[in-house]
Amino acid sequence: MFSERERERYKRQMMLFGDEGQERLKQAEIFIAGAGGLGCPVSLYLAVAGVGTITLVDNDVVELTNLNRQILHYDRDIGKKKTASAEEKLREINPDITVKVIDTTIDATNVDRLVGTADGIVDAMDNFLTRYLLNETAHKKNIPFFHGAIRGLYGQATTIIPGLTPCFACIFPNAPPKEVFPVVGVTPGLIGMIQATEVIKYLTHDGKLLAGRLFVWDGREARAEEIGIGRNPACPVCGKRRAASTKKRKS
Amino acid sequence: MKVKIRFFARFRELLGTDIIAEPSAGTALSGLIREIAGKNQEGYDTIFDEHGAFREFVILMRNGKRVELADAGKVTVADGDEIAIFPPVAGG
Repeated sequence: MFSERERERYKRQMMLFGDEGQERLKQAEIFIAGAGGLGCPVSLYLAVAGVGTITLVDNDVVELTNLNRQILHYDRDIGKKKTASAEEKLREINPDITVKVIDTTIDATNVDRLVGTADGIVDAMDNFLTRYLLNETAHKKNIPFFHGAIRGLYGQATTIIPGLTPCFACIFPNAPPKEVFPVVGVTPGLIGMIQATEVIKYLTHDGKLLAGRLFVWDGREARAEEIGIGRNPACPVCGKRRAASTKKRKS
Repeated sequence: MKVKIRFFARFRELLGTDIIAEPSAGTALSGLIREIAGKNQEGYDTIFDEHGAFREFVILMRNGKRVELADAGKVTVADGDEIAIFPPVAGG
């Protein structure tokens, strides 16, 4: 059920999703891993779209060097925890949703508990190790994993649905080298919008997901392309699972 | 025979893209890429390691299908092939 205020707030998008779609957004909990370049725009747009519960996890403190892209953090927030800074802005922009923030580093010991009963995980991380961990958790919990990553003017995104699409480890069996990556805010802005669009489509059951396809953005050339991606039958994350579920179905 | 090579992102900056190569019959995929990338040392070094093997994060596609790096020396290219070479990015 919606209050008058909610009806008014979401009026223009309820033209797209109807009461039912909006209710699905309201009932959903989305877990966003990272409140940085990707996490800021993703959480901001999911908040204004009315995703009922947003859980945002980050362990960092806002630094001046973050401010060219991490748009939930303002100059006055330098030195504050990113979670506190993001929570304040998200609550202000939409008081009708629930915002939960967790100030910690995601690791193998806490990832299960942190993700909890969320309906989906948004990858807003800046490293592959945590992405592998989130991918595994998404598969364990059978929830989608919305991948995005950027460097400079380049970005990539895909939507991983356990049991249906190749998983993150199928697509990227090996991590690119670690580095302090160059970035201008528009790139995570753009890739973050792809991820947020995917989350909204997934929750409202609207449109066709970016599933089994890797979206590749080259901002330098202003070209968007798609790379078809396939499952790795020997994948340590989803290969076994697939085998196990096939066996189960047969028996 | 004509084969199109498409480099993406950082690889594209260093090596260009949509390169039409005319390899002889029986040319292995890895050999073709090595030859083209060899025109720019920095470009070559971002794709291959010091032993001349593909760096393990490189994604190789032939006609929209993934080619395992370990198989690139065995797979031969054919007329009309489109080869894509892509470096995943990790920032966020």
